[in-house]
Amino acid sequence: MDKNTIITKVNDFLVDEFEAELDELTPEANLKETLELDSLDYVDLVVAVESEFGVKLAAEDFVGVETLENFYNLIDKKVN
Amino acid sequence: MKTALVTGGSRGIGRAICIKLAEESDYHILINYHSNKSAAIETLKLVKEHGNTGEIIQFDVANSESVKTNLDIWLDTNKDSVIEVIVNNAGITKDGLFMWMPKADWDAVINTSLSGFFNVTNHLMQKMLRNRYGRIVNMVSVSGVKGTAGQTNYSAAKGAIVAATKALAQEVAKRKITVNAVAPGFIKSDMTAALDEKELKKLIPINRFGEAEEVANLVSFLVSKKAAYITGEIININGGIYS
Repeated sequence: MDKNTIITKVNDFLVDEFEAELDELTPEANLKETLELDSLDYVDLVVAVESEFGVKLAAEDFVGVETLENFYNLIDKKVN
Repeated sequence: MKTALVTGGSRGIGRAICIKLAEESDYHILINYHSNKSAAIETLKLVKEHGNTGEIIQFDVANSESVKTNLDIWLDTNKDSVIEVIVNNAGITKDGLFMWMPKADWDAVINTSLSGFFNVTNHLMQKMLRNRYGRIVNMVSVSGVKGTAGQTNYSAAKGAIVAATKALAQEVAKRKITVNAVAPGFIKSDMTAALDEKELKKLIPINRFGEAEEVANLVSFLVSKKAAYITGEIININGGIYS
């Protein structure tokens, strides 16, 4: 799956399930702050990624993931 | 199908809880048993007689792989279901003075009465968080809050669950999941059948052993929507023997 498809799919579910505004979803945006995630919300993120991409994320995968770009790269790495 | 899982539900207090939830809730009752299948079937029969649906599920709560495998099979075959209630009731005792206690007796009680709570609850927690509603009731004991001589292993396991109850309650409260513990004293059951009730009841202000149904009444209340604002609590039900 190419990176642009990953970015589109991630942005789509962030808008649909996390009530994010599409224009907020820039690569440099902070994942936690943009989505107003608390620790429990990561459960929803993990489930959404599994549902969209068929890959499982663990807590340790999020180490170092601060921006949306980091998040896209994490999924890219897992999927490809 | 909204479901309530009761571990160690085949006999004693666990059976009484299954029956009471059948009477007072709309939950499908999932009755866990370890080895006594006929007792579990009898509990299921009583659940149905009390006007509700249910089924039995076998696993040893101490065996994390068995817990995962059997719960996953159930979840895969009941995809529209959500386990909204967990009553962690399964527990064992292996009493003896600490100075003589074999490591095996320590481990067995910790593995069932403490790790059993982890194995079951941890495996179901993600789905419960996604459900954004849930009830967890941990059956502890007066031994876990007061300590009981001759039950260092059991007191340690139950005391640890008391602390875990308070911690987990804070973690998940935001998602409308409550976590409470019920601490029974002397309750008539197989576990207390060998005790000298006539002598021991002199120590109890209410002057009798409790009935399993009385404990089940409390659990049923905590499981209900009426108890939405109670979480992280350890509720004694012991006839006044300790408060």
